[in-house]
Amino acid sequence: MKSLDPRVNRLPVPGTPGKITPKIPLDQFGSYEVFVQPKEGKPFQHEGIVHAPNLEMAFVLAKEAFTRRFTCVSLYVTDTRDVFVSPLTDADKNAYDMISDEGVKGNDSYEIYHLAKRGKQHVHAGVVTAGSPEEAMWKARQTLNTKQVFNIWAVKTSNIRKTGEGETILWDTLPEKKFRDAADYKGGDKLKEFLERNKS
Amino acid sequence: MYGGGNTFEGIKTDSVAQEDPQKLAAFEARIARGEKIEPTDWMPQLYRKQLIRMIEQHAHSEIIGALPEGTWITRAPGFKRKMSLMAKVQDEVGHGQLLYSAAETLGKSREEMIDDLISGKSKYSNIFNYPTFTWADCCFISWLVDAGAIVNQLANAKGSYGPYCRALDRICAEESFHLKYGHHCVIYLAAGSPKQRAMFQEALNRWWPPMMHFFGPSDKISVHTEVLMKWKVKMGTNDDMRNQFLDMYVPKILELGFTIPDPKLKKNPDTGRWDYTEPDWDEFKRVINGDGPCNKERLEVRRIAEERGKWVREALKTSKTAYVTPLA
Ligand SMILES: [Fe+2]
Ligand SMILES: [Fe+2]
Ligand SMILES: [Fe+2]
Repeated sequence: MKSLDPRVNRLPVPGTPGKITPKIPLDQFGSYEVFVQPKEGKPFQHEGIVHAPNLEMAFVLAKEAFTRRFTCVSLYVTDTRDVFVSPLTDADKNAYDMISDEGVKGNDSYEIYHLAKRGKQHVHAGVVTAGSPEEAMWKARQTLNTKQVFNIWAVKTSNIRKTGEGETILWDTLPEKKFRDAADYKGGDKLKEFLERNKS
Repeated sequence: MYGGGNTFEGIKTDSVAQEDPQKLAAFEARIARGEKIEPTDWMPQLYRKQLIRMIEQHAHSEIIGALPEGTWITRAPGFKRKMSLMAKVQDEVGHGQLLYSAAETLGKSREEMIDDLISGKSKYSNIFNYPTFTWADCCFISWLVDAGAIVNQLANAKGSYGPYCRALDRICAEESFHLKYGHHCVIYLAAGSPKQRAMFQEALNRWWPPMMHFFGPSDKISVHTEVLMKWKVKMGTNDDMRNQFLDMYVPKILELGFTIPDPKLKKNPDTGRWDYTEPDWDEFKRVINGDGPCNKERLEVRRIAEERGKWVREALKTSKTAYVTPLA
């Protein structure tokens, strides 16, 4: 391979061009759901996923993937398998009307997320104490504003990797990174000067 | 970033006829109401298949698109440009990640997609099979290829599949940075020395034909395309997208005193659309089928990265996690 890029020319060439060496099972990492808090006082909302070998790495990768250009004050991640999902409804059907089972009772803390509009993100709605995701949804129905939601997620609080106290400094340096800021690319003056110069 | 003119699979249209008519009607009614389709909703096989293909191609384009620009990070003029370009390239790779996740919600695993990219089974935007000889080529991509991508992405963000639209909203927000950065780079070349101006003019001459290819050949309006438009998978014809791009950017290029290498290019006052020399579609087909200046290199770089990263993935592997389909 001959490239214009000297770094490409220096690359070692393992394996056979055009062929992928067969992979071991589990070569794929696990899936983790990512939630971001856009501003102080605003609720967390679901933003997407990352694949990672563990919860801690998922947190690091989520920070890279979801909080580079935007203001973000906090982040958390949880294993996709730890999210308990209600049926998805539409029209004027409330997802809470599909919850009929009270489930196992207990005293764990559960985070509840609502899909208030189809096509939008799941947004954090509150915390309830319950012994199972079923009970958590059952209780959420009684205590949270559940007027019209299309989907409910329940996650046990202890299964979530939250941003720890002191870790929010992760985002403190963002304002210093001018190259990430659109305001750093104002070409207007330079353009005007160029056009003036061209006229004369 | 990616080009339109997605190569949709030529599925026999009777595959739609095999679907449950009641479910199909409810699905189409939902889209007609302007509601989004979510991963657990019922959807026709054809819809699923074409969306996977489209989102996957888009993801690959972001990943491969990072290569022709990435090669200039170490040689970008000055510290600031290096930092900016590095941040931009990181964004593009990030876009790839968001898009792979959206495609995964439809049931194709990320690993399969990466394998299909490397084996050449999946396509990516043709334009990235061309080389970036100079810094000005890199600036052309940052400004104008990204501009073309934004035209496509803004249209697709109004599509019907929820996870894809949400990913595109995030992506479009970041692309607006890229556009400003790219324009900034080109303004500085335009306002610079005669040598700098000539450098960009040469890049423009090289990249104009692939830029015209970028949006794909004129669509043959078939029953198939109509279905995809009705389902809001395809949001406009390739010619519409190309026209929109020309409308927005030809004036900006001319403003900087550069010449577009197509004597026939002008807006037709009668039709309100642009006339131009018909792009060389034979070349387009030849390059998309593997015979472009950089196809081999692009895929080799990806493949080598995959091979070299293998020991890391193996070292980190644990049976405590499992790959599952993302939720939304
Ligand atoms: Fe791009
Ligand atoms: Fe992008
Ligand atoms: Fe971009």
